[in-house]
Amino acid sequence: MQSASAIALVGNPNVGKSVLFHRLTGAYVNVSNYPGTTVEVARAPARFDAAVDLVDTPGVLTLPARSDDERATMRALLYEPLQAVIQVGDAKNLRRTLTLTALLAELGIPAVLALNMHDEASARGVTVDAQALSEALAIPVVPTVATGGEGIAQLTRSLADARTLQPLLHYDGTAESALAEMAARIADLAPHPLLTARGLAILYLGQDSEVEAWLKEATGDAYTELASARDSAHAQGVTPAALAHERGEAAGTLATRVTKRTAQASPLLAHRVGQWIIHRVWAWPILLGVLFAVYEFVGVFGAGTLVALMENDLFGNVLNPVVTQFAHKYISVPWLADLLVGQYGLWTMGMTYALALILPIVTTFFIAFGLLEDSGYFARLSVLANRLFKLIGLNGRAVLPMVLGLGCVTMATLTTRILHSPRERLITIFLMALAIPCSAQLGVVLGLLGGISFSALLVWVVSMVAVLMLAGFLAAKLIPGRRIPLVTEMPPIRLPLMGNVAKKTVGRLKWYLIEVIPLFLLGTLIMFLLDRFGALPAIIRAGEPLVSGWLGLPPEASAAFVMGFLRRDFGATGLFAMSHQLSPIQAVVGMVTITLFVPCIASVMMIIKEQGMKVTAAMLALIIPFAFLIGGILNHLLRAVWGAGA
Amino acid sequence: MSPTDHIARVPLSFLLPGVQARVEDIDEAVSPTQREQLVAYGLAPNRPLVVLQQRPMTIVMIDEVELALECSVARHVWVKRR
Repeated sequence: MQSASAIALVGNPNVGKSVLFHRLTGAYVNVSNYPGTTVEVARAPARFDAAVDLVDTPGVLTLPARSDDERATMRALLYEPLQAVIQVGDAKNLRRTLTLTALLAELGIPAVLALNMHDEASARGVTVDAQALSEALAIPVVPTVATGGEGIAQLTRSLADARTLQPLLHYDGTAESALAEMAARIADLAPHPLLTARGLAILYLGQDSEVEAWLKEATGDAYTELASARDSAHAQGVTPAALAHERGEAAGTLATRVTKRTAQASPLLAHRVGQWIIHRVWAWPILLGVLFAVYEFVGVFGAGTLVALMENDLFGNVLNPVVTQFAHKYISVPWLADLLVGQYGLWTMGMTYALALILPIVTTFFIAFGLLEDSGYFARLSVLANRLFKLIGLNGRAVLPMVLGLGCVTMATLTTRILHSPRERLITIFLMALAIPCSAQLGVVLGLLGGISFSALLVWVVSMVAVLMLAGFLAAKLIPGRRIPLVTEMPPIRLPLMGNVAKKTVGRLKWYLIEVIPLFLLGTLIMFLLDRFGALPAIIRAGEPLVSGWLGLPPEASAAFVMGFLRRDFGATGLFAMSHQLSPIQAVVGMVTITLFVPCIASVMMIIKEQGMKVTAAMLALIIPFAFLIGGILNHLLRAVWGAGA
Repeated sequence: MSPTDHIARVPLSFLLPGVQARVEDIDEAVSPTQREQLVAYGLAPNRPLVVLQQRPMTIVMIDEVELALECSVARHVWVKRR
């Protein structure tokens, strides 16, 4: 339930808002070392006052808002019952922090400033005079290190002294008169309960789409008056860029006044490592090393050793015999016992797949993933991938959702909000739905194909990359709009904190299991019913021309595709379970087809939420036949190269 | 503008790694939204920067911010060597 009063955490991207949110509420939201981890507003009661909700907002590079995540923050400022904001700023990047402060000052919300990561600033020889800054802004300024809990108590106490900021600047004469005129109109037509008319005027002249929507709603027919006043202000040179420039200048002047820099004798190790990762030569061996380490940990240790322990030793030898014996002894209705422990039994298939096969794989994957996320490596991948992504009409920024998609495509679909144009989002979501396997599926693929041979795995990888590039190339040609060149900030390289990686892994596993287990059980139930009522043999017969004729798989593989409609990884697990019946070519073709097959139900729901029903239906109508087309072509190609007996 | 001023103004993508420069201007070929972003990142007129590398992308350091720019953007950012 929403409280009557709220405090929002706002700030630039990757400054530690979510860590602070966790410190102040006890609620955990995902925290990572790359800009754009938070794309939606999170809310929880504050530890220091349960009647107050703390609201964590996505980071804003610029306000007026330009991207979807920035718009979410703007909506929080417009619609939340805010009593104050805590601006979280990066102490080593004071100019950018104060550019946002300058705007918050104009909006008239009581504020305190948490000058976070001041330990990193000190390590770089940057010291900020918090006292002088506090006097200049007329609000409390508290140095914090949110990850270590430093300064949190002082920050909580300082909230009692939160007050309206001292304005940082006066715009030039023309801008000031345009702002005054606009503010007077807004005050007259649509006074905001919390924000000042002047602040709204600045955002409206800066073309903030959320403020525009709010004003349209609040002013009704009188909106045209505002729109024509804005047009004439723009014609006089009072443009969004001009206003932003003046704020930046004022922020820069104050930042210089309160910051002291001492020259560093040598660059920090973290800084040098950061450069090696994107070095034109060293980047590639480092990338191969990282991939190899992930393969060893997830593919060999997770999908091999741990799955064998769980599937054979725990489930195969201990749990399943006990449950089966119990069911046959105490359940007198044979079909009910079969439903629990038969071939398509809720325990022997549903729970065994979810817990013995998938759980070890996703656990190892999420640990590896969390470590890489927090180190700052992923953000640098966007620089390495940029040239490749240019071919598919995207820029390197899209690598982040795609890499996150290797964890969970559903979560990653939401992360596409960090992309700057609707076109980029559409292409990225489509490519993820088509060709990015989630961690569970990836693990099953590694387990099955890695067990056959390295070349089988390589054929799968090459096929997926080729499909991704081909589909992306075509999508970029067909979807109108221009590609946006990449401009991105590199977050500092940091040693991941084990506590955070563990929390993140547990959070993701919880989310994953809540989603997976009911669907696996539902899928098993459907399979059981289809089998019971004789429909499964009919489906297998009906699918034979496609599955056996075109894809060259055993007829029973049709069942895996039926399962794949619920979740691709459920289908893949079905193929994994029948791996002893598959030749190497069949295993590769089966895995390529099922990887390209429809994304899981949760992802489809998320795509509907983000792109609407029509776009989702069009995507699915393309993806399903495309998966079988590619699978069949690969089957015929591999048989032509290696012969039918392979 | 004197002739030497004109000669000293070069696109950011021309500078070698290690060179220090000061931003002069971002030309109109860069979209207004992207110009706004660049300014927000700190790549604003009169701001000092150091070029860290040019391949695979232009990477510059502004204060403590490492910023990566595609060549198609960096060649429209005009700078003067310091």
